[in-house]
Amino acid sequence: MQYLRTILIALVCCGSLLTAQPGESPLRTFGYFQNQFEHVTGREDGVGPYNSFLMQQLNLFFQKNLARDWSAFVNFELLNSYSSSRQWGGINLEEAWVKYRSSKQFNLKIGLQIPLFNNLNAIKNRTPLLPYIVRPLVYESSFNEDIPLEEYVPQQAFVQVYGFIPSGKIKIEHAVYLGNSPNINNNSNYGQTGVDTTDNFLVGGRLGIRYDELRAGISGTYEKTNFFETLGRFLQLPVSDFRDLPRYRLGSDLSFRSRKLFLEAEYIDVMYEEGLEAYELDKTFYYGTMGWYFSEQLLVYGTYWDIHQNEVIILDTGQLRLYNYREIVQVASAGFSYNLNDRIALKGQYGYVDIQLEIPPAPELSNILDRFDYQVFTCAVSIIF
Amino acid sequence: MHRTIATILGSFLWLSFATGQVAVIANKSVPVDEVTSQQLLDFYTGDVKLWENKDPVIVTDLKPEGEVKALFYEFLGKSPSRMKSIWLKKMLSGEGDPPEALKSESEVLQKVSSTPGAIGFVSEANISDDVKVLTVIPRKD
Repeated sequence: MQYLRTILIALVCCGSLLTAQPGESPLRTFGYFQNQFEHVTGREDGVGPYNSFLMQQLNLFFQKNLARDWSAFVNFELLNSYSSSRQWGGINLEEAWVKYRSSKQFNLKIGLQIPLFNNLNAIKNRTPLLPYIVRPLVYESSFNEDIPLEEYVPQQAFVQVYGFIPSGKIKIEHAVYLGNSPNINNNSNYGQTGVDTTDNFLVGGRLGIRYDELRAGISGTYEKTNFFETLGRFLQLPVSDFRDLPRYRLGSDLSFRSRKLFLEAEYIDVMYEEGLEAYELDKTFYYGTMGWYFSEQLLVYGTYWDIHQNEVIILDTGQLRLYNYREIVQVASAGFSYNLNDRIALKGQYGYVDIQLEIPPAPELSNILDRFDYQVFTCAVSIIF
Repeated sequence: MHRTIATILGSFLWLSFATGQVAVIANKSVPVDEVTSQQLLDFYTGDVKLWENKDPVIVTDLKPEGEVKALFYEFLGKSPSRMKSIWLKKMLSGEGDPPEALKSESEVLQKVSSTPGAIGFVSEANISDDVKVLTVIPRKD
């Protein structure tokens, strides 16, 4: 009987903790998905031509105002016709955060989140907001196997303070965030997986200005990475030289929109400054898009993307050898986005992709195709539900 | 008889609109007596969510397309479709909800008069003493 009473008291206490707060709202569930058809032709590296239908991305959101100044948000993302039984695609918990809004100058977001970096990073996976089907290279998750996306833009943070300071019609935007370094353990032999095995933080931020529809800013991050430990072992150098290697990212962004004109551009520089003097690993990326609204529903645009990335390759030809090479990817693309209504958008995009590899002269590398190009035709439908 | 009354009423409403006009209205609890178009834009884009007294700003929209809505959005300097895309970005980023779109001006009046911190817009001819008028948007001829 005493137990029963204790349980009842506990339930009443819990109940009182969970009673509705002023400003609390019901749980909202919404999301979007984008299905695409892709035709790739002209690849000289042996791939294609091919046609592919794909459920490119589906995002499912849960949002709730917890109290007047507090809200919570969860974002699940399913990629590439996700199917666990067929081992296709992937499912990610992209965001799970709680936000405290004190004022327009100060918002605090705690939990897994995509940090503000340049113009597109925080909204790169919001396909209904973007006119693109294939996003500018470093923001396109389906390029993950060819382009080390996590090197170019911060993928996640865990604490972020952001807001804006109004000054007349100008708004000065600011954001500062902390997160993991990207060295999250995925090998259970080395302890608990999903845990950052370094003692380092990602630190980053963005400072920008906004004047009506003109927005510009600079972004930067500092973090440490252990990506190149393998390289250190191979070079028979002290591994500690390759552990916690500082990496800097600098970015700048510009976007503008008028009733007819749409412009956006970004530049990203990735620098590794210590420990790898003999090897060039820096990377740059930029893109620029110009579009024209023929009507409020129809945007037609042209865009150009450019990546210069330095990489190392280790070849085993009876004897292990290491080569530093440079890859240049240039994409010229044009497309349109047409909003059928508030919920459905049709998109089309054509892309010409040119890939060049600057490979050091060595007999064992002579069979590598150092330049090839191909064309991509895509169309897609984007749905908000 | 009914047709005559309707015609007179219609003419009166048309004249009211022709001379003026859209009133930006707010609940009597709001701590300001006037707003600029920039302040309104900040409210309607969700950039500013609190009044000076820290009460939340409850924004309402008018669902039917028409001259009243067109004039209001022109005052903000945004087209309705641009505003929708701004709200969509806020919603998909977890930063806020679109304003509640009400079916008629009488619903806007009812909502604004009964909800502390609420703000909306109606034809000047339709305002009542239950709400505070923050500004009147003149019609451009």
